[in-house]
Amino acid sequence: MNGAKVEKKALKLGYMPLSDCLPLLVAQEKGFFAQEGLEVELQQEVSWSNIRDKVIVGHLDGAHMLAPMLLASSIGLGGLKKPLITAFSLGLNGNALTVSNTLHKELFTRNAAEFDQAITMKHVIEQRREEGLAKLVFATVYPYSCHNLQLRYWLASADIDPDKDIDLVILPPSQMVDHLKLQHIDGFFAGAPWNSVAILQGHGHCLLTGMDIWENAPEKVLGVTLQWAEENPNTHNALIRALYQACHWLEFHAEESLPLLERHLSLNSPLIDQECLIPAITGEYIFDHNQAQSKAPGLLVFNRFMANFPWLSHGQLICSQMKRWHWLPENTDCDALVASCYRPDIYRQALANVTMPEDDFNNVHLAIL
Amino acid sequence: MKPARVMLVDDTPTRSAILEQALLDQGLIVVCRLESAQGLIKNVEIHQPDIIIMDLESPDRDTLENMTVLNQHNPKPVIMFSEEGDSQIIFQAIQAGVSAYIVDGLNPHRVKPILDVAIARFREYQALRKELKQTRDQLADRKIIDKAKGLLMKTKGLDEEQAYHAMRKMAMDQSKPLVDIAQNILSVMEFLTL
Repeated sequence: MNGAKVEKKALKLGYMPLSDCLPLLVAQEKGFFAQEGLEVELQQEVSWSNIRDKVIVGHLDGAHMLAPMLLASSIGLGGLKKPLITAFSLGLNGNALTVSNTLHKELFTRNAAEFDQAITMKHVIEQRREEGLAKLVFATVYPYSCHNLQLRYWLASADIDPDKDIDLVILPPSQMVDHLKLQHIDGFFAGAPWNSVAILQGHGHCLLTGMDIWENAPEKVLGVTLQWAEENPNTHNALIRALYQACHWLEFHAEESLPLLERHLSLNSPLIDQECLIPAITGEYIFDHNQAQSKAPGLLVFNRFMANFPWLSHGQLICSQMKRWHWLPENTDCDALVASCYRPDIYRQALANVTMPEDDFNNVHLAIL
Repeated sequence: MKPARVMLVDDTPTRSAILEQALLDQGLIVVCRLESAQGLIKNVEIHQPDIIIMDLESPDRDTLENMTVLNQHNPKPVIMFSEEGDSQIIFQAIQAGVSAYIVDGLNPHRVKPILDVAIARFREYQALRKELKQTRDQLADRKIIDKAKGLLMKTKGLDEEQAYHAMRKMAMDQSKPLVDIAQNILSVMEFLTL
């Protein structure tokens, strides 16, 4: 325990059953919350909309949240309007693009050497248009998500208009594999473990990971309302310390956490077993059912590379991309919006013994420019 | 004023039937009742509802939310009936398990009565479910207690009254529910007769 008395001891935190919710599960299981004097109840949710709404009305104290949701909710895009903040990133990366076996074959036939390049996708889209075939359908998990922004970024790099040249739909992560199998969709961009589930079951081929688009990209954050943070500063600090411990532990013991992860993720999902959880956790990634593993270290980063720091530059990247797609008005002041949602000052204050960057900016390396 | 057109999305048909009736009683039109988001977007286009009431615990909410960013012809999720996230009605809706989306143009003043009906019916259904569960649990408990009582009577040569009193005394002494004592007796007896 470190510092001042917590204002609120009993907390309810929400999470979506995905591999990157691990810091919350570990903080609970290893007693890091308890060490900080917190009694945390973890609540599994079924949609990102629920997470947002329940945090906003106070049913949840905080949650595993999509980083772009902070900005969207703070200005009232698509739902309730309330300032949300983060002072802690739960990790980096984790997403990947998986396409159906049919689409994979089309891409491969088109250009075997560059089947995984956006330009090949562009050529396939053009050919399908000439042949009078239906548009390709891709799914992501939530409109205001890094998944959606990364997929759009990749498509646009080859001059594919994600709003015109393809159909982009939103599906719950747990339904991706079934829709891919039934050919309702031609591909999906989602987080772990859903790409591995599709691949291990032989329903798809992983084309690329999010790291091929934005290296060490922002992903999930600990989201709370500004009001909650102001009312519970010591509790917030304690929560950050507990989660930091969990992330640090995970950096070295991720494999040990597999049974814990399986227990929580298989609660409502019969498709989940330990095998499908391994690739993203170990970085021994599988891109194709018939191929051996390839290295994709850093697919899920829990702590290294200062992964938990709430970089203002993460917010800036998200804000600029949300503007690009006209989700945010042209005149949105990204500096002000990001400064209101991303709070490195709180992170710095909560973690006295952790090495801190000098600057609040650390540009995400854009793998494709 | 034309009555508002309501669409219901709920995987619990009993509940959505109750809600449909209540809305019809209020003079509203229920244009469509879906059990899942299968064909959700298409049905919104076909039926052109003014408001969509959806089970909060449906994983398909995120699918519907995407309609906010598509184009102006599509429904916009309601800003949960208010610009402010903390208004009482939103809190109540979420507590009752109701989420609702209005299509651009429906006057917010017309939303509240519809939402009130939905909240009331969802709560009613919640209460019914709880009651049903309690009844079921009680029945199950009774069965266990009766079984343990029968076993005591048989093995210890007690009459019904004595067997019951013996169990109740144990329950009081150990401050445990009677059903737990009965369950213990059954486990022990089962073990002994193995």
